[in-house]
Amino acid sequence: MKKAWKKLFVSLTALLLFLGVAADSMKVQADSPYRTYTIDGDGYVTETQTAYLPYQTITKIGEEALLAPTDFTLTDDGYMYILDSGNRRVVVADMEANLIAAFGEGILVNPRGMYVTADHTCYVADRDAKSIFVFDGNGELIHTYGKPDHPLYGGDLDFLPLKVVVNESGTMYVICESNNNGIVQISPVEGGTFLGYFGTNRTSASLWRIIWRAIQTDAQRAKSLGNLPSTPDNMAIDEKGLIYTVTRGEGYDTLKRLNIAGVNMIECDSYEAVPAAVAVGNHDNVFVASTNGYIYEYNNEGDLLFVFGGSDDGQQRIGLSTKVEAIQIDGKDKIYILDSDKAQIQVFEPTEFTKHLHDALYLFSKGRYTESKVPLNQVLRMNNLFDYANMAMGKALLQEEDYDGAIRYAKLAKDYDGYSDAFWEIRNNWLKRNLVTVILLLVGLWLVKKLLGLADKRWGILKGPKAALKWLGERKLMRELRYMFYFIRHPIDGCYGIKRQNQVSLASANIMLVTGILFYVINKYFCGFLFKTVREGYFDIFSDVGLLLVALALITGCNYLMCTINDGEGKLKHIYCSFIYSLTPYLIFMPVIFAISHVVTYNEAFFVDFATLFMFIWIGILVFISVREINNYTIKETVKIIGLTVFTILIALLLAFIIYVLWAQVFDFVQSLFGEVVYKIGN
Amino acid sequence: MATKFKKIIASVLVALLLVPMFGCLAEAPLTVQAAEKERGDYGLAAENDRYALYMREEGLAIMVYDKSSGAYMESAVSIDDGKNNALWQGAMQSALVLNLIYANVDTQQADLINDDITQEVTYTENGFSARIYWKQYQLGMTLEVTLNEDGITARIPDESIVEEGEAYIGTIALYPYLGYSYLDEKEGYMLLPDGNGALIYLDDKEGRFSTGYTGMVYGTDTGFVDSDTTRLWRDKFEMVNEANNILAPVFGMAHTGEGIAYLAVVEEGDQRAMIEASPNGVSIDYNRIFARFTERRLYTQPTSNNSTSGSFKMVEVDRSHSDLQVRYLFLSGDQANYCGMARAYRDYLLKGGFLKAVPDEYRTRVDFLGTEREAWVVGTSAVVMTTVEDIKEIYADLEQQGVKDLLSLYKGWQKGGLYNVPVTACKAASEIGGTGSLKELMKDSGDKGIKLYLYSDALRINPTEQNATFNVVKKINKRKLEEKTHKDVYEEFMWLTPARTDYLLNKLLKSYTKNGVNRLALGGISDHLYSYNYSGTFYSRHQCAESYYNTVAKADEAMDLVLEQPFAYLWDHTESFLDMPLYTSSYIFEDESVPFLSIVLKGVMPVYSEYVNFEANKQEFFLKMVETGTCPSYLITKASSADLIYTNSSDIYSSEYSVYRDDIISYTKELAAVHEQTAGASIVGHEIREGGITVVTYDNGVKIYLNYSNEQQSTDGYTLDGMSYLVSK
Repeated sequence: MKKAWKKLFVSLTALLLFLGVAADSMKVQADSPYRTYTIDGDGYVTETQTAYLPYQTITKIGEEALLAPTDFTLTDDGYMYILDSGNRRVVVADMEANLIAAFGEGILVNPRGMYVTADHTCYVADRDAKSIFVFDGNGELIHTYGKPDHPLYGGDLDFLPLKVVVNESGTMYVICESNNNGIVQISPVEGGTFLGYFGTNRTSASLWRIIWRAIQTDAQRAKSLGNLPSTPDNMAIDEKGLIYTVTRGEGYDTLKRLNIAGVNMIECDSYEAVPAAVAVGNHDNVFVASTNGYIYEYNNEGDLLFVFGGSDDGQQRIGLSTKVEAIQIDGKDKIYILDSDKAQIQVFEPTEFTKHLHDALYLFSKGRYTESKVPLNQVLRMNNLFDYANMAMGKALLQEEDYDGAIRYAKLAKDYDGYSDAFWEIRNNWLKRNLVTVILLLVGLWLVKKLLGLADKRWGILKGPKAALKWLGERKLMRELRYMFYFIRHPIDGCYGIKRQNQVSLASANIMLVTGILFYVINKYFCGFLFKTVREGYFDIFSDVGLLLVALALITGCNYLMCTINDGEGKLKHIYCSFIYSLTPYLIFMPVIFAISHVVTYNEAFFVDFATLFMFIWIGILVFISVREINNYTIKETVKIIGLTVFTILIALLLAFIIYVLWAQVFDFVQSLFGEVVYKIGN
Repeated sequence: MATKFKKIIASVLVALLLVPMFGCLAEAPLTVQAAEKERGDYGLAAENDRYALYMREEGLAIMVYDKSSGAYMESAVSIDDGKNNALWQGAMQSALVLNLIYANVDTQQADLINDDITQEVTYTENGFSARIYWKQYQLGMTLEVTLNEDGITARIPDESIVEEGEAYIGTIALYPYLGYSYLDEKEGYMLLPDGNGALIYLDDKEGRFSTGYTGMVYGTDTGFVDSDTTRLWRDKFEMVNEANNILAPVFGMAHTGEGIAYLAVVEEGDQRAMIEASPNGVSIDYNRIFARFTERRLYTQPTSNNSTSGSFKMVEVDRSHSDLQVRYLFLSGDQANYCGMARAYRDYLLKGGFLKAVPDEYRTRVDFLGTEREAWVVGTSAVVMTTVEDIKEIYADLEQQGVKDLLSLYKGWQKGGLYNVPVTACKAASEIGGTGSLKELMKDSGDKGIKLYLYSDALRINPTEQNATFNVVKKINKRKLEEKTHKDVYEEFMWLTPARTDYLLNKLLKSYTKNGVNRLALGGISDHLYSYNYSGTFYSRHQCAESYYNTVAKADEAMDLVLEQPFAYLWDHTESFLDMPLYTSSYIFEDESVPFLSIVLKGVMPVYSEYVNFEANKQEFFLKMVETGTCPSYLITKASSADLIYTNSSDIYSSEYSVYRDDIISYTKELAAVHEQTAGASIVGHEIREGGITVVTYDNGVKIYLNYSNEQQSTDGYTLDGMSYLVSK
C-alpha cells in the first residue's frame, strides 16, 4: 500500500504526467494567481477574463533535474528539446516530460541558445565555445561553425553567439553578444559562409545629441560612448521565414517582424521594457515574454490582445515566474514558459474565452468577416469591453453595411478609421434621404426672412426688437466688445484705439478671456469623436483653466517686464488688452471648427486642419503687430522683444522649479527631524 | 518498540472485535482498556475513553494515542536524520518556540531545549499545566494541555505571559511539530485553510520548495502594511491577485495510512495567529503544520510624508492581549481525512453556537448594480445601469421562465452611486426611481418570495464625496490608511473606525426600519480585520474583531442580514455565505484543492459562489458548483457593461442581463434539480479519482459523479461524458 502510494506521488511532475497519460487534455483545476489586461485604442488598459490558466509545471525530465536552462524548442511531432545550460547538455523529452535522450555533454561549454528544425537537426549557440554546434537527430555532432572569416564581419569583432534560428534553406541567423551590427547571417555552404548582417536596429539621435556632436571635436567624438544600435535580446522565426526580434530599450520597436530585406512590418501599440523572448502563435499572433514573467499576446497587426502573468516575489504561486528565458507555443495554443531560476517549464492553457478569440482572429485575418461574427459575439458576450473584438466587429458590420452598428463598435474600440468610414456612410445616407427636406427648409427660411423684411417695411413690426438691439449695442461694454471685429481687421488702428482712445476696458477683455477659455474647454472635451485629443471620459478642467491662466499671466507679465526695460511705451493694461483682442480669431473660428468637427470625416479633415492653421496664423500676426504698435517698436525691436520674452518665461519657470525643489527639501528635512524626535520620545 | 506496537494493535483489534459481540449479548457498558503508564520516554498524563495523553517533561512533548486503533501522533521529532543544527533540533523537541524581538531585531529564537529555563509541571485531572520561565530573557508563560472527549486543547492564558527583561515576545509557535512526519515515511496530507481548502501530500518533495505556506488568519493586517508594496505593471495595474484570506482559523494533519488525523481550531488569539505549513525540503526534511501567535510586531515608522527621506524600525508598544488556545479535534479510522475534518469542524461550530443553522434552500443569486459615476466637466455624472423598473422587468421575465427562487443584492442603489460610501440613510438615487419605488420593489419582491437585500459597504469612506477628515483609521505608524483603487474617478478610499462604522450603521438601521426595509447585505467589515491607530491610541485586531462582531450582531437582530465572504467569527450572524471561493490561491506546493469549507457548510447554511460573470472557464466552474453544492451568483446590469468603462467599476466587463439571461435560466434548472436531491443533507464523502473524476457522497445516500476531463470516463459502472456530472441515488 505504502509503496503504491509512494509510486503515485513520487512527485508533482509524476502526478501530472500520470494524469497527462490518462487523459491528454486533463485540466488542473485552478484559479489564476494573476490578472489579465487588455488595452484599447486610446492606450487605456482594462481588465479582462483570464486568458490563460496554469496547466502544468514541468520541473523534471524523467528523473533528471534541469540546471539553469536557457532555451528550448517544441517540435511539431511532439518533442521538447531543452537546453540544460547548467549541465552543458541538450535534453530531449516527449510532451509528457519523459526523458528520451540527452546529448552534447563534453562538447558544449556555455550554451545559450538553441533551434531545432523539423527533421530534428539541433543548432546550439555556444557563447564561450564561440561556435554554433549542429547535432543530427541522434545527437551526433555533424557541424561546427566558428567565427566567419569574411572581411565584412569585422576582423576585431569576437563571435559570441547567444541565440540562433534557422530557416528552411538552412541559413542560420545568429544573435551575438557585443555585436551591434545586427543579426549575423550564415549560410551552411562551404562550411559556413557569412552572408551579412540583418535587421540592424536603428540608433535614435535626439536633438540634444545632434547638437552636442556638432560641437564636439573629432577626438571627443571618438572618445565618447558611441551611440550604437542595440543588439536584439532574442528572436523567433515563423513558417514563412519571417524573423521576429525583441530588443530592450527600443520603445515601440521592441518587437519587430523582419521580412527578407530586414524591414520591420509590425507596429505595436504597447511594449515591454525587458523582453526575454518571442514566439509565433498559430493564428498569426505573436507572444512576447518579459524577463519578470509578463506574457504579452499580440495579433498580427501588433495590437495587444492580452498581458498576463507576473513575477513571483517568493510567494511560490503557480503561473508566476522568476526569470523567464524562453517561450514556445504548441499546436494547441498552449504557452510554455522556461524559467531558468526555477529550472522549470510552466505550461499555460487557453481558456474558453481565448479559444473564441483565436477563432475570431483566424477568420478575421482571412477576411471572412461575416463568419468571424459568431466567435466575436461569444467574446463580446464574455467581455463587452474587449477592444480587439469591438474593432473587428465594427469592421465586420461595416462590410455588411450595418453602419449604425459599425459606428457603435468603432467608437467603443477607438477605431478612428473605422469610425470615419462608417460615419461617412451614415452621413451620406442621411443626406440622400434628407437633401430635399434640407433644401426646402433653407428656401423656407429665406422666404420667412424676406417676408419679415417686407412686413417690417410696410407695418414696422420689427421696430421694437430693432430698437432694443440698437440700445443694447450702444452700451459702453457692448461697444468695447464689438471693437474686437474692428481690431482684427485694422490691428494698427486697433492698437491705437486701445492705447490712446480707451476703446476697450479690462471688463471687456476679461469677458473675452472667459469666453475663450469656455470655448477651449468645450472644444477639448466635446468636439467630434474623430478630432478629440483627450481620452473619452477624461476631464481635468481645473488644470486646463489653471494652465491657460498661468500661461497668459507669464506671457503678459514677462512681455511687460521686457518692454519696460527696452523703452516700450505699453502699459500693462494695454499689453493685456491687446493680447486678448489678438485672440479674437479664436473666438470667431472655434465655434465653427467645433461645429464642423461633428459633421466631417477624415476625408474632409482638411477643413478643420486648415481653419485651425489659418486661425493661429492670424492670431500670430495680430500678436506681433500688437507688441509693435503698443510699444512703438520697429520690426527688428519687436522680434528681439519676443525672443527676450520667451527667454524670460523660461527663466521664470526655472526659478519657480528651483524654489519649489529647495523648499520641498527644507520642509522635508524639518518634518523628518521633528518626526523622529516625536516618535522616539513618544515611545 | 515496533513489535510492542504491533502487539498493542493486535490486542486492540481483538478487543474491538470482541466487545461488540459481548455488547450485543449483555448490553454491558463499553469497557475500555486502560492505557499503559508509559510509552517510550513519555509518561501518561491523562486518558479518557478514546485517547490517552502522554507527556515527556523535556520540552513538554506530548503524544496523543488513539486507544481504538493504536495510532498516535507526537509533538517532538523522534527520528533524527542528523542533518539539523541545534537550533532546529531545539525547535523540533519543544512545545513552544518563540521568536523574540531584541534590540529591534525579530530573529532570536527561544525554545525549551536550547535555552536555560525553569519549568514547573503540575498534573491536573485531564492533563497538565507547566509554568515556564526563560531566565536569560526574563520571560515566562504557562502552558496548559488538557485532554477532552474529542482530542486535546493547548492553551496559554494571557495573564500568565510576563516580559520582565529587555526582550519582547514576537511570536509563539504552539506545538509546531504535532503530527509531523519525515519525508514520505507516512501517507497522508496537511490541510491548509487556503481558499476553500488545499492539501499538501506527505510525499517526498525532493527539495523542490524553498518556502511553505504562511497565512495570517483573517487576511493580512493592513494596519502594518508599510506602503503600497504590490508590484504594479506600468506602475498602475496590479498583476498578481492577492492570495485568498484565511476565512476560518483551522488547519489539519492526516496520517491516512495509520488512520489518525486532527483538525486544529485556533479558538482564542485567532485574530493574530498565523497558520504555517511546510512540506519536507523547506529548510528541513519534516512535514509540519501549526499555528503561530503574534504578540508583537516590528513596523516601519517613516519620519516624514516623503517616504524616501528616512524611517526607522519600531516595535509595538504593547503586546496583544488574548488567551492563546488551539483545540485539536482528533479523528480516527475512516474519519481520518479532510471530509472527516470538515464534519468535525461543523459539529464543533454547531455545538459551540458559532454557526447559525439556516434551512437549506436553493436560490440563484442575481445581484444588480444601480448607478455608478463617471467624471464630467465639473464633478461627476451618473451612469445608470439598472433601475427599479428594470429589476421588476427582470424578475418578471425570470419568473416566466420558472426561475422564482432568487436572492439579490442591490448594489449602488444609494444616492450618489455605488461608491458614495458610507450609506447612512435609506435614500435611493433618483436615477433608479427614487426611495418610494425602491421601497415598493422591496415589498413586492418580498411578497413573491424573492430575497432582495440592499447592499452597503460599512468599512470605506469616499473622501471625494464625503468628509473624511475625522473618524478614519490610521495605520500603526500613524500614517493615514489610504486604499488606492488605481482607477480614475475615485482614486482612493479611507477606512472608518469600527466605532464610527457602528454609529453610522445604527443610523442606517433606524432609517431602514422607518422605511420598512428589513434586508441588509454588508460588505467591507465582514472580510477585513486590522490593527489601527486613532487619536493616538492603538487598537488591536482583537478589539477590531470584537467591535465588528457587536456591530454585526446588532444588525442581525434588527434585519435579515447577509455578509460578504464573512470570517468565521461572524458566521453566527449571517443568513447566507456570499462569495465562497471555490479554488485555492494556486501555491506551487499545494497538491490538491479540496472543498473543505463547502463540506463544512453544505446543508447548514446556503452558500453562494463568487460572480460567474468573470469566470473564464464557465463549464468547469459550473461543475465546481455542482460538486460543492454552491448556488451561482451573477452581477447583472440592464445597460451594457461597456457604459462602465469610465467609472471605477471598469473591471466589470460583462454583466448585461440579455447576455446572462439564458445562463441564469439553465443553471438554475440544473442546480435546483441537484439541490432537490441533496437538500438538507450533508456531505460525508469526497473522493478525487484518477482521470479527473470526483465523487461526492451525501448522508442521504445520494452520490454525485463529476468528470472534469474532456474525455468520456467510466467509474462505478457509470459513464460520464467530458465535463459533465451525474447524480445517483
